[in-house]
This record gives sequence, C-alpha cells and structure tokens, in this order.
Amino acid sequence: MRKVLKGMASLLGATFLTISAASSAQVELDFYYPVAVGGPITKIVEDMIGRFEQANPDIKVNAVYSGTNPETLSKVLTASRAGKPPAMAVMTALDMYTLVDEDVIAPIDDFLKTEEDKAWLAGFEPAFMWNSQHDGKTWAVPFQRSTTLFYWNKDAFKAAGLDPEVGPQNWQEIIDFATKLTVKDASGNVTQWGVQAPSTLVPYWILQGYAAQNGARLGDETGTKTYFDKPEVVEALQFWADLGQKYKVMKPGVIEWATNPKDFLEGRAAMITTTSGNLTNIKNTAKFPIGVQIMPGHKQRGAPTGGSNMYIMKDAPAEQQEAAFKLAKFLASTELASEWSIKTGYVATRADAWETDAMKAYLKEFPLAGVSREQFPYLIPEFSTHDSQRVQRAIDDAIQAVLVGSKSAEEALKAAQQEAERILKPYQD
Amino acid sequence: MIQANASPIAGTNGASRALETVGAYMLALLWALPFLYVVWTAFHSAEYEVNFNLFAPITLENFVTAWHSAPFARYFLNTFMLITMVLASQLVVCTLAAYAFAKYDFPGKTILFFLVLVQLMIMPEALMVENYATAASLGLVDTIVAMGLPYLASAFGIFLLRQTFMTVPKELDDAARIEGAGPLKILLKVYVPLAKPVYIAYGLVSVSYHWNNLLWPLVVTNSVTTRPLTVGLQVFSSPDQGVQWGIISAAALMTSAPLLIGFLLFQRQFVQSFMRAGIK
Repeated sequence: MRKVLKGMASLLGATFLTISAASSAQVELDFYYPVAVGGPITKIVEDMIGRFEQANPDIKVNAVYSGTNPETLSKVLTASRAGKPPAMAVMTALDMYTLVDEDVIAPIDDFLKTEEDKAWLAGFEPAFMWNSQHDGKTWAVPFQRSTTLFYWNKDAFKAAGLDPEVGPQNWQEIIDFATKLTVKDASGNVTQWGVQAPSTLVPYWILQGYAAQNGARLGDETGTKTYFDKPEVVEALQFWADLGQKYKVMKPGVIEWATNPKDFLEGRAAMITTTSGNLTNIKNTAKFPIGVQIMPGHKQRGAPTGGSNMYIMKDAPAEQQEAAFKLAKFLASTELASEWSIKTGYVATRADAWETDAMKAYLKEFPLAGVSREQFPYLIPEFSTHDSQRVQRAIDDAIQAVLVGSKSAEEALKAAQQEAERILKPYQD
Repeated sequence: MIQANASPIAGTNGASRALETVGAYMLALLWALPFLYVVWTAFHSAEYEVNFNLFAPITLENFVTAWHSAPFARYFLNTFMLITMVLASQLVVCTLAAYAFAKYDFPGKTILFFLVLVQLMIMPEALMVENYATAASLGLVDTIVAMGLPYLASAFGIFLLRQTFMTVPKELDDAARIEGAGPLKILLKVYVPLAKPVYIAYGLVSVSYHWNNLLWPLVVTNSVTTRPLTVGLQVFSSPDQGVQWGIISAAALMTSAPLLIGFLLFQRQFVQSFMRAGIK
C-alpha cells in the first residue's frame, strides 16, 4: 500500500513538474552582434529587441555585443565548437563559406514553413542575397548592408571652377577633376588632395569596385576561384596606383580606412570613396555642402555590396532556432528594415522597405540617402571565398605593395593569385 | 633614469655626458609622443585633433561622453575583481610550486618542471576553444571566474620564483631549520621576504597583462556584469561611422589611469627590482 501511494505521489509530482515546465516555457536565446559603430547603434539594436520581446513574451533575447567582426567570428566558432553556440549571430556576408565549411550554421530554408515566410525571404534585393547563397541553399538573412559611394566637397569644386552639382562620371573624369582639385601651397606641399580611396581594413573591397568598373570580377560565385591576375584586374589596380604615383592627385602610399573620411571632413581631400555606412556621419559632421553619387564607371558602372548578415547556428536547440528565425524575420521585416536604414545609414535591403511612409518622408528630407539605391542595378556580390581570411590577406598585401610602389601591379597580383590558388586547392572539387 | 644613462663609466667628459643626456631626452620624447598625442586629443575638441594650437581651449567633454557611452564603473569593478583573483591565486600557487621545485627532491621533478616550462611556449589563445569547452562544462561561461580560470597558475611565475629561490643561500635555510622552523615557516620567513622585489616585478607584469587582455574575456563573457574594461573600450572602434579620436583617447586615458598611477608609485621598486634581478 505504502509503495502504491509513494508511486502515485511521485507520478503526481512528475505530472505537476511537466505542467509547470510547459507553462513557463520561455525560450531564451543568445544573439551575438558586432555593431562596431559606437554607443547609439547599440541602443537602436537594444530598442528593437525590446519591441520584439514585447510582441513575443515567450521569447527572451540576450543581445550580446561581441567585439569587431573578426572577434565575433572567433567568439561564435569557439562557442560552437564547445557545443554552446548562440542561436543567432550577425557576421560579415563574406564569412558564409567559412561558416559552411566549419559546419556551424543552419540553412534558412529549413525554417521557411509558410507561404508568408517564403514571400518574406523572396522580398530581399537580389544583390544582397548573392552572398547568402551557396550549394542551392540560403544561409543568411541580410541585415546591416552597405556599398561604396563617391563623396565630394562642393566648396572645393567651386574653388576649382567645377560645377559643384556634378561629380566625375568615369575614370578619365576622376583624373581630370582630381588634377584641378589638387591644391599646393607656395612651397609645393599639397594641402588638398584631389581624390582618395582607403587601402587598409578592406583594400580588396575597393579594388573590387575598380575591377567591376573595368568589367572584371575578383572571384567566381563558387568561392573556389580567384581572378587576381586577369589583365582587367591588373589594369584596375594600376589605375588606382597611378592616381598617386603617376598623376599625383591622391595621397601617396597607404591610406588608412578611418582617416580617409577624416581627411575629407578636414578639407585635405576633395573627393573620396568610402562606405555608404559613413553617409550619416559625414552629413552631420561636414562643415561644407557635400555631393554624393554612385561610383564613376569605366567600361561600365560597378560597385560591391558589403556588410553583415544574420546567421542561425546549426547546433543551437531547435526551439531556440525557431525563436531566432522569428527574430530575424522581425528585424528584417519591411518596417524594421526601413527604420534600421533611416537610423543607422545602412542600406535598406528590401524593395518594400524603400516604400514605407517613414522612408519616403526621410528621403524627402535627406535625398542623398537614396543614392545607394541608384547603385542597385550595378551591384556585384562582395568578393568571398572559402578560407576567406587567408585569401583576403593575400590580395590585400598585394594591393598595398603596389600602392607603396614596392611591386608592379602585374607582379604583385600574379603572386597573390598563386597564393590564393594554393589556399583554395582543397576546395576545388 | 637619466643619471643612470649618464653614468661616470660611460661619460668621461662633460661633452659626451651632455650628448648622452640629449640623446636620452630625444628617445624619451619619441617614446612618449603617442602618449602625448592621446593626452592632447583627450582634452581638446575634435577640430584640434590634427591642428596644434597651444592655446586651444581645454575641454573635459570627451571624458563625459566616453564615461556615458559604456558602464565603465561596472567594468572597472569587474577588471578589479578579475586581477585581484588572478594575482592572489598566482602568488600562492607559484610560490608553493617554485618552493617545491627549488628546494625539494622528489621523483619526476625534472620532467614535471619541463612540463611547466613547455607551457611557456604555448600561446594561451591557441587553447581558447579547449578552455571554453572546459568553462562551459563547468557551467562557468559568462562569469568572472571563467575569465581568470586559465591564468590561476602561471608557468612564468613558477619559473621566475624558482630561479630566485635557488639563489637563496642554504645557510639561511639551515639557520631557520636549527631554530625549529617548519617548511612553511621557512618559506614565509626566509624565501618570500628575500624575493620581494621579484614579487613586485612579477605582480606588475601580471596585473598589466590581465588589465589589457581582450580576446579571452570577450569570448567567454556575454554581459555587462562580467565584462572587463578592455571590452568596454571596444565599443569605440567604429570603422563604419568614422572614428572619434578625442573620445577614444579620453576613454583610453581613463581606463589606463590606475595602471599609470600604480606604475608611477612603484616605479622605483619596479626598476630596481629588475636591475637587482639582472645583477644576480
């Protein structure tokens, strides 16, 4: 009798436990993001997540600021290998191959349950999906995306006798404009350079733009082949190097990514190429009227996409993955994608996000924010390969060697191509 | 320090001594330049970042902005707890291990000591994944303990203290033993006091290392309540939106101030201890 009672009691207890577990089943998930853009943007992310939690009381999101882009990648890989991955993380678009090779991310297709889900994923601009697709699957949701834009100082244009409303439209005009815009003082020192493009942090990104304008790509879409030594790429790098070495209209040597916009804002460079992500900052800081346009062309127009996507981790528990997918859908919904773009300056990645009332009002007040959209027809995917960090290193070193004049473009790119082929050999079948 | 450079052995006459002094100042200036720039940008508004003007208005605004950009008070506390824990544990573990290696004979001593030395050759970053897995299996991810755990013992500390303990004359040890002191008492009354300069030098090196350590703390922690200062500083690295050097400088100055003050206070002992270690 006693035994039976005890059995019943434990049964009851067990039932009670299951019930209470089910009723308080709040899914908690970690979301790593590298928004390396200072305090305000962190607050925007936190605010959006707060609204998501309000709409989904059964989900709790721990938004974890995870350092710079490379640090976020190490943190995610470390946690994944230890079997404790976050449910979702924001990592650069070009990390896709690395993440697939490491087998740590789950394809987004697995979570598309309804027609509405599918329509949502189909709503992104194709250009921003190229870096998410591999092997017939979609691996990432576009989040903080950017492209390169061409900025100029209207006051400097006026001083040089140029029409301040029209920027250079092709390579020849870049040289012509920049020659007029390069100003020297009495002793022959340059006080204002005609044009600048950054050559640290992501030199390959800038070269990719010049190559695209010259009708070439740096690599194919399988992530296993590079075309560094193609004559069009050599010409593109030669053009970049010539601006400093032959025409003497660009600051010679390597130009720091972070000081490039600074030089522009301080009036030491009249025209610069930099990310669209810097537009809001430049607009707010510049003491002179600025002009912004899409990248000048050569044989054709062309510019790469850049920035980061949201990835769902393969080894996270299923209920966390489902919750993460909900969060991704929320953050990249029409309304939020548009709000995110307005508040941060990142490019809105959905066609419908450009049509919201908020976006229309914003574009009316700040038309320059629409320039990146004009570039959509000319966008190419960001150069990405397997083992991308090492391949990037090879091409970045080559670019810098040419810009400082220690190697010829042909020689440097040939060596980089050989190095890349060696790194990519294991992936080529 | 300058006097030390212009020692009577090197400078035989006034001219060469003056030359050396000038040289020393030049080198010191070169070394201090980045630091001076940080101080300059931290106390001036953005337009003076690249324009030098002696009478530029001094502002504390950068410090205010930096302080409010991240919960620095909490980060200071976390860093403080981290280095206290690491240093306390390192001192105890290294002292005991070094004492055993220096003064006792036991089977496998040489092999064990070599194993300790092998650790000196391995970068802690190479073990990050393994360490993370250990921390995760102990349920310690996102705690201050996890940040310190891989550093609680230090091969460098054991090696340094063993070398120091080996130089202590056997007579002192014997004298204490005759007085009836046990092994622990001998350690505390004879060896530790004699190794004091080495302890100070090692302590400063260890504290500054953990004060500056970034990658492991960043990887193993997730929340404001556990993260140290270095992670807080990361908030300012923003290549997309342009870099505000003034605020970065102010934050860097603020977070390194305790270390700088500590070094200035202990400078004499710090330099002396290394010099003495060299003489031995």
